Amino acid sequence: MLRYILKRLAIMLVTLWIIITLTFILMVSVPGSPFNSESSSNEIVQANLNKHYNLDQPKYIQYLEYIKSIATFDFGPSISKPHQSVNDLLGRGFPISFELGIISIAVAVLSGIILGIIAALRHNGIIDYLAMGLAVLGISIPNFILATLLIQQLAVNWEIFPVATWSSPAHMVLPVFALATGPMAIIARLTRSTMLEVLTQDYIKMARAKGLSPWKIIIKHALRNALMPVITIMGTLVAGVLTGSFVIEKIFAIPGMGKYFVESINHRDYPVIMGTTVFYSVFLIVMLFLVDIAYGILDPRIKFHKKGGD
Amino acid sequence: MKKMLLFLLTLLTVVMLAACTANDDAGKEEPAENTDHAEGDAEAAENEDDGKVLRLNNGIEPKSLNPSIGFDSVSWTPLNNLMEGLTRLDEQSTAQPGAAEKWDISEDGKTYTFHIREDANWSNGDPVTAEDFVFAWKLMLDPEQDPPSPAAFLGYFIKGGEAFNSGEGSADDVAVKAVNEKTLEVELEAPTGFFLDLLTNPAFFPIHHQVAEENPTWHAEADSFVSNGPFKLTEWEHESEMVFEKNEEYWDADAVKLDKVHWAMVNDDNTQYQMFERGELDTASIPAEMSDQLIDGDNVFIGDYGGLEFYRFNLTMEPFQNKKIRQAFAYAINRQDIAEFVVKNGVDPAFGFVSPGFTGPSGSDFRDANGDLVTLDEDKAKQLLEEGMKEEGYDELPEVVLSYNTSDTNKAVAETVQDMIKENLGVEIKLENQEWEVFSAAQQDLELQFSRSSFINDYNDPVNFLESFITDSYMNRTGFSNEKYDDLIAKGKSEVDEEKRWEYLYEAEKLLAEEMIILPIRYYNTVALESDKVSGILRHPVGYMDLKYADKQQ
Repeated sequence: MLRYILKRLAIMLVTLWIIITLTFILMVSVPGSPFNSESSSNEIVQANLNKHYNLDQPKYIQYLEYIKSIATFDFGPSISKPHQSVNDLLGRGFPISFELGIISIAVAVLSGIILGIIAALRHNGIIDYLAMGLAVLGISIPNFILATLLIQQLAVNWEIFPVATWSSPAHMVLPVFALATGPMAIIARLTRSTMLEVLTQDYIKMARAKGLSPWKIIIKHALRNALMPVITIMGTLVAGVLTGSFVIEKIFAIPGMGKYFVESINHRDYPVIMGTTVFYSVFLIVMLFLVDIAYGILDPRIKFHKKGGD
Repeated sequence: MKKMLLFLLTLLTVVMLAACTANDDAGKEEPAENTDHAEGDAEAAENEDDGKVLRLNNGIEPKSLNPSIGFDSVSWTPLNNLMEGLTRLDEQSTAQPGAAEKWDISEDGKTYTFHIREDANWSNGDPVTAEDFVFAWKLMLDPEQDPPSPAAFLGYFIKGGEAFNSGEGSADDVAVKAVNEKTLEVELEAPTGFFLDLLTNPAFFPIHHQVAEENPTWHAEADSFVSNGPFKLTEWEHESEMVFEKNEEYWDADAVKLDKVHWAMVNDDNTQYQMFERGELDTASIPAEMSDQLIDGDNVFIGDYGGLEFYRFNLTMEPFQNKKIRQAFAYAINRQDIAEFVVKNGVDPAFGFVSPGFTGPSGSDFRDANGDLVTLDEDKAKQLLEEGMKEEGYDELPEVVLSYNTSDTNKAVAETVQDMIKENLGVEIKLENQEWEVFSAAQQDLELQFSRSSFINDYNDPVNFLESFITDSYMNRTGFSNEKYDDLIAKGKSEVDEEKRWEYLYEAEKLLAEEMIILPIRYYNTVALESDKVSGILRHPVGYMDLKYADKQQ
């Protein structure tokens, strides 16, 4: 197990290096400059700015600078917000995105699994159709539309919740709802289909024959296997949701870090592009690693040394 | 195996905990209605205590509140209310005494001596001194600043400014000096008729130099921020809100009616409109898709905004090396229809280049005085195209591609122009869109043949825009070079007699229309929804929103 983990760590570092290098190559090969705006400018001003941010240096020196900054976890100042370091931006935005994300994930996983189980147990019944109808709606309505509808109806028309911003539990309800609906629907559908499959297996029949209570069968025997596919998608899902949703954060004016992924690229804010990429990559790689570990725990048939030995 | 079980148990516990948290939240979510109402009441109560509180939206976090570093509207709109330059725009958008009480101008128009008000103070009680301006202006021009100012070119009017900024001169050679504590002397490169207007620009705001020398990042947080304008910065929660309070130290504090200003940072058109509807904001912009519905309402403010949307011809690419072909394209466009039915939102079609709102020495508007220069004329357009093609020996016009940076409005305008050119000239042009940065790099490098562009004025004078097209200007981006034009602009900048100076600018604009290196589309405007309770917000054609005289009924 330890050997497996060490090996995985080494692979993770190599993966990260490849991601950084590719990002750098893509970043410098796309035309544009962080100092392009619709405002007036002139050559002298542009030259001073380029010099200040070392953008007049050869590309390989810039690359080495980036590697150095990543190795020391100091990405330097943001170009579009010159008095704030990339670390400041991420340090301020991430806890907020994390808070929104973890609540949404909890809501999505819990309600998704429950919905899936109920649908599977009442297979082809009214409840199944209702639950799956809801899931299809959840998957097909984009969250930005759902968010706008929620605001219009619940905040503007009925005045139950505040419209936007992030300051009290009441402010959290609508964004959590909007963000959780999609993942919930996916999880519900997955749980239902695997649950249906598992429920027809011999060992479930065996458990029934033993006279175990239906709930015990579902929770202890069926669910454990039915959750495998759910665990599989959790890695990417969690990484994606926790690092912030650009659209939801924009609509609800939540000061999370989701916006930096998009805006840094639009503004060619190189240090922020690098910072967010590294941050997200590390997060995603670690989540995938945890998912692999979780497989082994849930399914003893998966042996790490074998997997690692291939 | 036991270890595995233990691990499994831990995992289960975590899941359970998460579930509990979720349940707790669900519990909290239920009575949200009550919480919210209670909060609403609390807010109302807070408002009563705080006096008059204006709620605005700044869209996003200001780039920087260091005067010369911000250089965008999200930084300079708040800053314009925190700080004050030597001059300040009044209700008629003309420069009036601000931090300076009066000034003397030398006979050659090159030396300005400003007398700063005795009662002009910083929010910490210290007096505003001439040294504060010297410090701020040299900081703007310093190429070694962290970071260098993107607005530094505005300071090139000051003698020695360009040399210092380009690294050839030194800070000591910049001709701005503090004669005594309250007297500032500035020498200019050449007479500059609009210098007093220029000084209203936030790039020229002072910086409390003792504070800044002690703490170079004084401007980054609310507790260290010192201001000399109508308001002071009391709270700044980055990326989410700013709170301004009336600055009692401001020399004209009696004129300031608001007690507080809240700036939200909501970067979504629909959301900020929904907040306005709900009463969480006092002003808002109109979301594009609701324009038709809202634009004629009583609560809509529509005003001039100094700026032009236009298409650039690239004179280094065929067929636009030919003047007549360029003119033909320009006369084939029905600007009235584009403004009214495509862009909408109350914008005006551009029949000239300089936008309305610049008042000349004789009191008349530049635009009215110089009249319409490009209008729709299908016959003339067809004839010009024929002549132009003959001059170039074309049997068929080389392929024309119109490029624009990706946006819904830009696309709609480009498609309309494509239609009009097809209908009025019988020429098929192609459309192409690119992401903003890619697009603007290509435009700068003259790689685009026919491309969309826009200009927003930095200061209140027609020369600001017209100067873009002098030979080798960074803003030229057309390949245009014309000695006569360069000469007219040089005179239009430095002529001491204002009447004459404007004559040169009229002539320059006419030459621009004759050469037709750009095709004007429409002028910009300011449109804002404003709650009935709000009054006195100044929105200048060139300049930033001013809340000095703003008021809100309780």
